[in-house]
Amino acid sequence: MPTLFSFAFKNIKRKPLRTGILAFAIALLVSALVFSLSFVQRVNGSIKKSSERLGADLLIVPTNARGAAEEILLENRIKTFYMKRSILDRVRALPGVDKATEQVYLVTVAGLCCSVPESMVIAFNQDTDFIIQPWLKEKIQRRLGKGEAVAGSESAYNIRLGLVEMDSMLFGNVFRLIGSLEKTGTGFDTAVFMGMENLPAIIAGGKLKNLQPDDISVILVKVKPGVDPAAVAALVEDNIIEADAMARKDIGKNIISALKDISRIFTMTIALTAVMSFFLVWAIFTAIANERSKEVGIMRAIGAKESHILTLFFIEVLVIGIAGSLIGIAAGMGMSAALSKGFTIVKQLSTELSMSEQAVIAAISFLGGTVICALGALAPIQRLKKMEPLLVIKAE
Amino acid sequence: MSQIVIDAVSKDYRVANEAIAAVRGVSLVIERGKFVSIVGHSGSGKTTLLSLIGGMVSPSSGRVRYNGEDIYTWTSDRLSEYRCEKIGFMFQSASLLSILTAKENLMLPVAFRSSRTSEVGQEQKAEKLLHAVGLSDKLNAYPAQLSGGQQRRVAIARAFMNDPELILADEPTGDLDEETETEMMQFFLQMNNDHGTTFIMVTHNSELAGQTQQHFRMQQGMLQPV
Repeated sequence: MPTLFSFAFKNIKRKPLRTGILAFAIALLVSALVFSLSFVQRVNGSIKKSSERLGADLLIVPTNARGAAEEILLENRIKTFYMKRSILDRVRALPGVDKATEQVYLVTVAGLCCSVPESMVIAFNQDTDFIIQPWLKEKIQRRLGKGEAVAGSESAYNIRLGLVEMDSMLFGNVFRLIGSLEKTGTGFDTAVFMGMENLPAIIAGGKLKNLQPDDISVILVKVKPGVDPAAVAALVEDNIIEADAMARKDIGKNIISALKDISRIFTMTIALTAVMSFFLVWAIFTAIANERSKEVGIMRAIGAKESHILTLFFIEVLVIGIAGSLIGIAAGMGMSAALSKGFTIVKQLSTELSMSEQAVIAAISFLGGTVICALGALAPIQRLKKMEPLLVIKAE
Repeated sequence: MSQIVIDAVSKDYRVANEAIAAVRGVSLVIERGKFVSIVGHSGSGKTTLLSLIGGMVSPSSGRVRYNGEDIYTWTSDRLSEYRCEKIGFMFQSASLLSILTAKENLMLPVAFRSSRTSEVGQEQKAEKLLHAVGLSDKLNAYPAQLSGGQQRRVAIARAFMNDPELILADEPTGDLDEETETEMMQFFLQMNNDHGTTFIMVTHNSELAGQTQQHFRMQQGMLQPV
């Protein structure tokens, strides 16, 4: 017995080219949606994770080095900048500061100073550190000795450290890489870490010409409980002219504002694609409505209710919308994986989208594609369901 | 109680700001089980009158009562149920759905019924009806694979699919050769006799009209007994 479903499927198969064009338009919209949502979510998520895992409330850097610090932290870039160690004491003296520790950033140059590929080396103060130690404690359960270093998870992969201990030449000194850290999802994953006590020997070796004994790169601050980090950041900016301070929630602001522009472009593209798909569905279903008005009149005359006509056409619309959306999701995910590496901002990110994030993006895009398809067909279908059966009989 | 009571029904259409009266103050009472025929020239309002009885177009004035109820006070859904379950239509042309086979076309009205019915039983019924109109070898043929006369016979069979109480037939034998026309008329008379199905048949053929129990002529929108 023909059911509304079997009848709808027969209608869909009746014009395969037209069905294909509609499904393709929806697939295009959905793939654009999946691609842009994945892109924005990946960058946003990475920034959020990095600032959450930073372990400090404030990041203090030399004046004008804010952007470079964000690039190191969020985009795994290799950069150095320095300020005077005396700033550390002035920070510690500010009200609201609970703990402060310093780090010095060095860059390896393979062949010239070092046996590892170009990467960031971070020297940290093992006495005051509260950033690296928790990760270290998990892996080696002791302080790093002089001439010892650990690698971030990505660096470990890059220098083929694996689980085997090995010696590396860093800035003219032999270092024993004694392990690797867990993945943090931040710029630390591509760095090599050593104790601050190794610096005098490195500086004395003369391999780092622009680094002075009293230079540091960043100060990481924990504020006292109940103190607003933004207020302490403002105090730093007011009192220490040589330094910029970023509260944790402000980290990535530059990238986020750049991202907003990209998001706007994506939104415009998606909006245009959605409007185009809407009108395509509308135009095609208007043609279908005209073409099948006699058929609808016959059905109404032999007893079809308005709801039967609505159901029949919505099954057709939804099947096309769902098929197009599923193709679009697959294409969008594929494009996202293949093309996102072409975007510098994404290339450097250390975080991938989780399964649940991908599922949410797929669900939103699926809903978007299907709803646009249904909305586009709504007006022509409404017109059809109101059709007077007599028109058919008169038209005979 | 009379099955159909048409009470001073008129239907006007507006064409380019001009009112055209298709049906003018028609009154008619049809008892259950009667076979009624209406003859008249093209444009005399026969099809409009059938549509008014069939709940397909509301009158400009007057009432159409079915089993005592004014059908144009019903909701759109109830009118659809009336068309589906009480009425069997035969249109001026076959009016089959081109993507359904002959058997599927017969079973389509069943899909619109409010009550569930056995699929196997309905398939057997469709096959039986197609056999009755001489198309047992065309069950799975699509309309495009049938001649005009064969399509017309499928449409005739379809009208009986939901066991209607009333058949509204608009020139039902128009495309048929003389022999088949006679066969179909015999089939209608048999259905009328055996099942008590009421028939209102519009025809140009006065010989066919002569075989019916009540005979009317439609002229310029008005109905007169012959």
